[in-house]
Amino acid sequence: MSVKYIPVQWNPNKWVYDVFMLAGVAAFLWIFIHVTPEILSHERPINSQVHNARAFGACAFLMLSITLAIGPLAKLDTRFMPLLYNRRHFGVMTAFVATAHAGYILNWYFAFSFVPKWDALILSNTSYGQLLGFPFEALGAFALVILLILAATSHDFWLKFLTAPVWKRLHYLIYAAYIAVVGHISLGILQDQQSLFLPVFFIATAWIVALLHVWAFMAERKKGDPLAVAAGDWMRICQADEIEEGRARIAVLPDGKRVAVFKHEGKLSAISNACAHQNGPLGEGRIIDCLVTCPWHGFQYRVTDGKSPAPFTEKIPTYNLRVENGAVLVDPKANPPGTHVDPVEVA
Amino acid sequence: MMAAGLVIFAEYWLMIGGVVALLFLTIGIDRIDEDARGAYIFRPLLVPGVLLIWPLVLWRWYALETGRADETKRYKAVRGAHGLIAVGMALSIAIIIAFGLGIKQTWPDHIAPERLSEAGQ
Amino acid sequence: MADKKDKPFFVGYLTAPDGLRSFLIGIGIGLVLLMAGVGLGIGATQDDPGNGAFRGDYGRQTVTGVMELTPYPVVRVTQGSEHVPEGRTLMLSAGGKQSLMNRVRDLDGQLVTVSGTILDRGELDMLQVRGGQNGIAPAEGDAPEMEREELGRWRIAGEICDGKCLAGAMRPGVGIAHKACANLCLIGDIPPVFVSTQPVEGSEFLLVVGPDGTIFPKSAYDLVAAYISVEGKVVRHGDLLVFHLEPDTAELVQ
Repeated sequence: MSVKYIPVQWNPNKWVYDVFMLAGVAAFLWIFIHVTPEILSHERPINSQVHNARAFGACAFLMLSITLAIGPLAKLDTRFMPLLYNRRHFGVMTAFVATAHAGYILNWYFAFSFVPKWDALILSNTSYGQLLGFPFEALGAFALVILLILAATSHDFWLKFLTAPVWKRLHYLIYAAYIAVVGHISLGILQDQQSLFLPVFFIATAWIVALLHVWAFMAERKKGDPLAVAAGDWMRICQADEIEEGRARIAVLPDGKRVAVFKHEGKLSAISNACAHQNGPLGEGRIIDCLVTCPWHGFQYRVTDGKSPAPFTEKIPTYNLRVENGAVLVDPKANPPGTHVDPVEVA
Repeated sequence: MMAAGLVIFAEYWLMIGGVVALLFLTIGIDRIDEDARGAYIFRPLLVPGVLLIWPLVLWRWYALETGRADETKRYKAVRGAHGLIAVGMALSIAIIIAFGLGIKQTWPDHIAPERLSEAGQ
Repeated sequence: MADKKDKPFFVGYLTAPDGLRSFLIGIGIGLVLLMAGVGLGIGATQDDPGNGAFRGDYGRQTVTGVMELTPYPVVRVTQGSEHVPEGRTLMLSAGGKQSLMNRVRDLDGQLVTVSGTILDRGELDMLQVRGGQNGIAPAEGDAPEMEREELGRWRIAGEICDGKCLAGAMRPGVGIAHKACANLCLIGDIPPVFVSTQPVEGSEFLLVVGPDGTIFPKSAYDLVAAYISVEGKVVRHGDLLVFHLEPDTAELVQ
């Protein structure tokens, strides 16, 4: 939020979130690295560098899959919304774990040669023309670069600086990264592994992530926001009595932007549906303490002028609104962010 | 050599990023974001981001300095690509895994060595 | 997307609503258990990497024999050591993935003394020689004539590996995930080794050279780590078979 930037805006929920996340990562790595060597009955152990690389690599894949699953889960069931709240910490941690995986590999398989490590990474396997023996490391490196870019641009400064739409587009790269990771594993360790656990886990996890996204998209399309209907120069959103107190109705305007019409203390106000922070859907939020509250990260705005209460300085566009014969009509031309519009009494 | 070229490219990319980070985090950021004025502890956190995406940083810095940025675009949420992403990702994953399983080999210990010509030839 | 009025609404910086708290704690505990379970599952089901190893426990081995450049250097041992019997043909490598070629160039057919650490994996063994004169030095005396036996052309099935990782420098030291490492070893003139599905004239492991007795050809790098069947001439050098691999004849096997 506005007020001076600080490295991380901690609060008790984030602490709890991170404690569970870190406990999960620690449990995974500790068991993989320290417990499983005792269980494996190999005549000679797997080299610790490879064992560690596998631990961090598998952990990063699981974490990335979980991070990606949070979005569709929250769309399908709002009880998962709190997992979205601090998802960035999960993503940043995933980038760290994936970097450790790459470090073990680079300093083992690509070391000990007269060829410098980074050169070796690029030139040692050039079988790009075939699937079997494809340089799957390149896919992993591509995904890692994306994870690092996303982790490095996760601070709220970047959202404000790049604007939420540009930031979102940049962060859509995560899907390319996941596809690359699936390729990295499919053309890499999947080819070698004889025991079944890893292939079954990997394929099931990737499929769950894929299907959750398709399912959430279909659900969203089914109950998606309606298009506003033209009524002269203005747009009809809904009937005034369809809006519950403290809630909003959302509609898509001809320019593709969404408007949210809120009812607060019996009066109607129209504001941009896109939160200034991450373009979260304000219309799916609620009015708490007289302020519209974003369901994603809790950013708040006055419903009459789209301004965050002091000391915060966020503001969003408002829309002119009138009620005719019980229908809510909105002027599709947005007012500049922070413009006061008198709330309209429901006749 | 191509590999060396790529590595050198990456090194230059990061070096230029370092210069941009130095300029942006000492001069630029105060000029384009009032919330950053007087806030210094968070700035080192931005360095990796600038190193990696410095062309984007320069573009936004320029747009904000010159007032060319269309600020109304901030409120047009990017949602149109959800379907493409969901279906595209699911298809990609299905295809890649199918290929991965399709090419997977098993140790061909049923194939015995075959002598093609007599010893001494 | 109007939701029910009584549905709990979570705001990040406020205390989670009662109806949601137990759900979220359940998710948190589930997450930790899931991650622990997957870590255990994947970690405890890794494949056996084989029994290759550096035999530091043998101590330094010093043997004398005749240097042969196949072109990869091998020593036909005439005077063995505790763990290297006389008559053995020993593959050589330098430290890491470094090339040994410069140090052996002028020694073909000469009697030499080599010293270093043994790597072994069953019938396969290799000597990682020490640096400089301590590792390879000409020996006193005349080199005896060493026989080679042409065993004809063969088609064999299996995998091309780098002989050093295979022999135990890395565990695992074979397979697709290790391919780039194997290639890097071969770039450093580590002797390539073909692991045959079944023994050829008694040998499961064959030193690989190019079709004309050259080093491993560039065109064959694409074949490394895949299971292939391939043709070539086999020549016996003492107890070591040398396979003159013809990349053009290679086929992937299913």
